[in-house]
Amino acid sequence: MPVKWLMHFQPNQGTTLTSQVMAEACAVAESFPGVSRDGRWRSLMTFYRAVPRDQSLPAPSDLPRDLIGISLHDLPNEYLFVMRSQRLILRAQSSVQTVMDKLQSYKGRFFINFEGLQYKWGDFKLRIGKCLYNPNEALRGIVMEVEYLPLSSIDKSQRVMEEFYEIWREAVASKLLAGQFINTEVNFVDYGLGDSYTPQHTAVLYGMCVVQVIASSNKNQ
Amino acid sequence: MEPTQLAGSGDAPPKQVAQAMDRLGRAARLIAEIRLGADRILEALLVSNENPRLSEKAAELTLGEEDAMRRHFLDLRTVGKQLEDSGVLSGALRSRGNSWGLHMPLVCPDGAVVAYAWKRQLAGQAGASAVDRARLALKAFSDQKRRFFPQLEDDQLNRSNNDTIKFPPTKRPRLSHRPTQSPNIDFTEQKPMLADILKSIQTEAPGVTISTYQRLEWSKRAESLASTMNDSSLDQPKEQIVSNLSSSFNEVAVIELVASGVFRVLVSLHPAGSTDPDAVAFFSPNEGGSYLHSRGMSVHHVFKHVTEYADKALQYFHSSDSNKALSHLLSWICSHQSLFTKICSKCSKLLAMDKSLAVLLPPVHRPYLLNSKDHDQDFATAYHIGCSSYDV
Repeated sequence: MPVKWLMHFQPNQGTTLTSQVMAEACAVAESFPGVSRDGRWRSLMTFYRAVPRDQSLPAPSDLPRDLIGISLHDLPNEYLFVMRSQRLILRAQSSVQTVMDKLQSYKGRFFINFEGLQYKWGDFKLRIGKCLYNPNEALRGIVMEVEYLPLSSIDKSQRVMEEFYEIWREAVASKLLAGQFINTEVNFVDYGLGDSYTPQHTAVLYGMCVVQVIASSNKNQ
Repeated sequence: MEPTQLAGSGDAPPKQVAQAMDRLGRAARLIAEIRLGADRILEALLVSNENPRLSEKAAELTLGEEDAMRRHFLDLRTVGKQLEDSGVLSGALRSRGNSWGLHMPLVCPDGAVVAYAWKRQLAGQAGASAVDRARLALKAFSDQKRRFFPQLEDDQLNRSNNDTIKFPPTKRPRLSHRPTQSPNIDFTEQKPMLADILKSIQTEAPGVTISTYQRLEWSKRAESLASTMNDSSLDQPKEQIVSNLSSSFNEVAVIELVASGVFRVLVSLHPAGSTDPDAVAFFSPNEGGSYLHSRGMSVHHVFKHVTEYADKALQYFHSSDSNKALSHLLSWICSHQSLFTKICSKCSKLLAMDKSLAVLLPPVHRPYLLNSKDHDQDFATAYHIGCSSYDV
């Protein structure tokens, strides 16, 4: 599977994030020669809350509280779970969501929709999207996924992705957007993941990125 | 010569297609004859140059060949005209009202000629997998070989006399620069050389895994790579790259070089078992499928460009020193392990936008010029397409 980097938009101090930024970021992408729009993309993240069997007893303290589920745009038949505190990832068929609903052991607390535009640029694929807090559709952040199709090794693609990131940041700065894109740095080894890129890596990236997005949006409110 | 049958527009399209297939086959055979004739003439000239007492015989053979060539050219012209008239070469048949929607013979990217591109139940070829097509192609080649080069079967008997002029049908230069070598090449000498070359490359570039395959073996492996890559439901363990060196090098037709996480390169040898590379192609390590062969093309821009450049490098290596072409080529290929990490020697960056292609690429041009000392050749520099100041 091709390697991906995930960045989120950090607005400048004192500015708030508006959907104008999304349009500006897309304009930056489209300003590169040879970029072609490639449709839309959408991923959905669910934050789960444990539901104890016996409501009268206090919830056991060892129940994980940070279980998230992700349905990725490029894997419609699968569903991934990430438990950040335990550094666990589970990859399952998308029917597992029906199982979760039936079991009622965990309920979705709230949801974040990642949706936006997709671009193809030579051997790169770019996806710029808004993070929309469901239910009230509030804009919490803007993310960008960068995928380099020829390589699947994280180690071997490191320099290529770094240079791309620099090119992107320079372009964003030159177009005077009110902020910058920050890359999500993750130590995949902590999660037991290897050098060969997989959907589990993507799930971990999203898990980490969303924390930063929420933190930055809370700070700026 | 086969009788020329005219398939008029009143004939059913299947007959027209069959005629076209037949004519294409004939054209290919004539072209092969012409190339062979040209080789023979050149051989005769070279031999008569080196060995003046044989020049009379060489002259006779040359004249004979010249006649044969003339005839072949005329025949080729006729076949060409027939093909043109039937619309094969220009695609005119497609626009004809009574063509029944049939397309003329389809030539696939890997060289296989398929009669019907749409109707599977008729000609089995279109519905056949790449393995079957390769098998059919191999059968066609070996049939042709038996028909046109019957002397190859008797090669064992022809090695004796130094005085008679022999014209082996292979394209390998028989006259080497070493004065001690006889004009008849001893085929048994080649096998250790291929093994030696591969061993020395393996020591020179330990990061690259080298495997050898026979032609059919490779097409099976290419197909299996496709199913491994597509099997995204299983968590794949890191691909086990095991060097698969054939124990006997007689029939090695494909050399595969894999640098983990960077590239998979295929080099084909022609004839099988020799040390003559005839095509090279670069692919991503995550590509798989029947299009993975030495004349195929990667789907990724970066590897497409490296492959195009590699073609030039191969031609250069052949022209500078044919005996060492394979080992230079393999060294040059192994230098690409740093394809995604080595910065351009001119602009010192890794990625650069190619203005005309509008894509971001790492330095895909690695100069292949050999210096005259011919040792310590490390092919260490790399340039972006736009940074190469001259075509090397």
